[in-house]
Amino acid sequence: MRQNKLIQLAIVLPILLATLSGCGFKDIDKRFFVVAAGIDRPVNNPNRYLVTLKLAVPSPKIEPGSAKAQVESVEASTIAEAVRLIKSRVDKELDFGHCKLYLLGDRLSSQYYPDAMDWISRRRDIQNVAYIAIGRPDAKTVIEMNPPTERFPGNTLFLQLGKDGTESAYIVPVFSFDFIRKAQERGIDPVLPIMNKEKEEYVISKLALLNKNKTVATLSPNETEIYNQISHHMKKSTVTATINGQSLVLAVNKISSRYRIVKEANGSHILKMKIYISGIFEEAPLGVYSSNWSKLEQKFNEHYEAEANHLLTKIQQAEVDPFGFGLRYRATHAGSDQTWKAWLSIYPQLKFEIKANIKIDGTGISD
Amino acid sequence: MNRYFYYNVFLGSMLNLMLYVPHILIKYRYNGAISSMLVAVAIGTGLAYLFTTVTQAFPGKGLPEILYIFFPRAIVIPILLFLAAMWYVASAIAIIAYAVLINRFFNPDTSAIIVLGLLTLVCIYGATRSTLSVMFMMEMGLIINTPLILFILMKSVRSENISWDAIRTIANYWNQMPQLTPIAAASYIFTGYINFSIYNRLTPPNFRLKFRWMIPVFCTVIMLISFFVPIGFHGTETVVHYIYLWSVTSDSLIMNYGFIERVIFVFLILYLNLTLIYTTSGWHQAIEMIKSCFPSNKPDVDQREIPWINWAIATLFAIVSLLYLHFFDEKESFKLASAWLVLRLFAEAGTVFLLFGMTLRYRRKSSL
Repeated sequence: MRQNKLIQLAIVLPILLATLSGCGFKDIDKRFFVVAAGIDRPVNNPNRYLVTLKLAVPSPKIEPGSAKAQVESVEASTIAEAVRLIKSRVDKELDFGHCKLYLLGDRLSSQYYPDAMDWISRRRDIQNVAYIAIGRPDAKTVIEMNPPTERFPGNTLFLQLGKDGTESAYIVPVFSFDFIRKAQERGIDPVLPIMNKEKEEYVISKLALLNKNKTVATLSPNETEIYNQISHHMKKSTVTATINGQSLVLAVNKISSRYRIVKEANGSHILKMKIYISGIFEEAPLGVYSSNWSKLEQKFNEHYEAEANHLLTKIQQAEVDPFGFGLRYRATHAGSDQTWKAWLSIYPQLKFEIKANIKIDGTGISD
Repeated sequence: MNRYFYYNVFLGSMLNLMLYVPHILIKYRYNGAISSMLVAVAIGTGLAYLFTTVTQAFPGKGLPEILYIFFPRAIVIPILLFLAAMWYVASAIAIIAYAVLINRFFNPDTSAIIVLGLLTLVCIYGATRSTLSVMFMMEMGLIINTPLILFILMKSVRSENISWDAIRTIANYWNQMPQLTPIAAASYIFTGYINFSIYNRLTPPNFRLKFRWMIPVFCTVIMLISFFVPIGFHGTETVVHYIYLWSVTSDSLIMNYGFIERVIFVFLILYLNLTLIYTTSGWHQAIEMIKSCFPSNKPDVDQREIPWINWAIATLFAIVSLLYLHFFDEKESFKLASAWLVLRLFAEAGTVFLLFGMTLRYRRKSSL
């Protein structure tokens, strides 16, 4: 019995010893956490990559303006090489595990983006829930900026893009897994928010429409809002109408939308979309309380239908499908390759029939 | 006693992710995965019902003892060795896949061999315990882990980022002909019952298994979730690019106000526990099968002294796993897993039909 125990000990101890040689784990003070990464094409060298990393520098203070970051940017022929070159310039191990934002430069995304996306999807330490956006004029300019009131490095970026901080109808946050799936999916195309640097702020109010290779169109802030309402049912948004030269703005309380793709008797296809919105006035001339609400609602409907129709037509003419109409067509028709081929010939000729149903819940104040 | 049977069923079905089952099914998503899954429900449920009928006819007897009733030693020993190998390979695939997973997602700087070495130490210790202890280990492990796993599964199904259109698109491909590999992969989810070949030794006399309908219900739900949810998150095309499909899928979830934001770390720890339990249980059964080949072996479900042969066999298992990881890569592991799944389907169906046939004959004889 005793002998048995000794034998067991003699076997187990050397095995444990072997593991003591260390497992390559690096302490937190020997790591540089990348908080944002940018991938650009340099102006004078369009075949190479310019990779910019924002490295968080820990600060003992947490107060507005105390965020410190080190920005490194290196040009190389591949993204991986650029990252390795940056490693040779810094004293700590780079860690992408907390990187929440990958910016594609405007030039890169309007040329050819799949290579950069490939790098993002292959690296295992990159979060699938990191945000992806387009940086204007380029990713480096946006990343280099240090917002004056930031409390810790990169925080402004995350709060602005995520749902924890500001929630804006003009910001459509896109996760990397969402971008990657749409970049290869048959029947839906990716969109990316555009981050502009203006003075010492990030301005995110436009949306880029991409096909499977590059950016093909940009939506204005107004169009972005409608996209957000139809596609994501964004509640913190507004609808507007102009009546007798005066603007009326409704803050959205509830929103829902649904659509069907219907085949007409003559063989052409129509997309029938219904949008239900209800809200409370945020801006209106005095007297709306006593006026006829159903007439006002009618005006809102007409206005919204025209705007949505304009947006859908613009998207159709850009030959992209950010709403996923094609995927819906595949989902509701027989599973075969013919379905997809049929859709490819249907979409350019598709007609849109939009019915808005806007309901006024209240006027904020009575007259 | 009933619950011990269902622990095995739950563990087996939830562990399908570690044996690449979702990835195999997804590969056939346009070519018969859906119909294969339907066939697998029928096969899996049928085999489970037949097998449980057999084990109920011999309460307190494991598969080796039942075989010895029917056949001479010369026939039983090769069958037992073959089955032991099947059990060993399944658990080894899971634990090796997990070691690679830790290397990929947790700590890329640590060699997978060292990780596997540590994991196998735990499994050696666990697998050498008595049958009863292993069963208790499984109970505790599942009670601790299952609620969180169900939480993650529910969270993924209810996520707003899941694309139901993609799921419906794939579901539209139901009319394709079923194929062997996806059938084998999907029927694995139903295979937990087979672990009762050894654990049946624990059943008291006159044991009656209740709630057998839970096998198809629970396993079908798990099967549908593990197939369709990744499609919802990664679309109909991109989904096939991920080998460790569910790790990537769990990384697509966030818990904003959880104590840890990225679900993948919770998920990996939960599956670490499940894989360790599964491997412990698998190796334990393989050890018991091998031990049953010796004429002097007296099965004892609750022995005090751990016989040296348990340690010897478990250590051998660990060494073979380490050698395997050293010599083969990710791609070959995946191929081995697919081949094993197909072989398992036939081996299992063969074993179950053989036992069922012999049991019928045995009953007729004894009633005469």
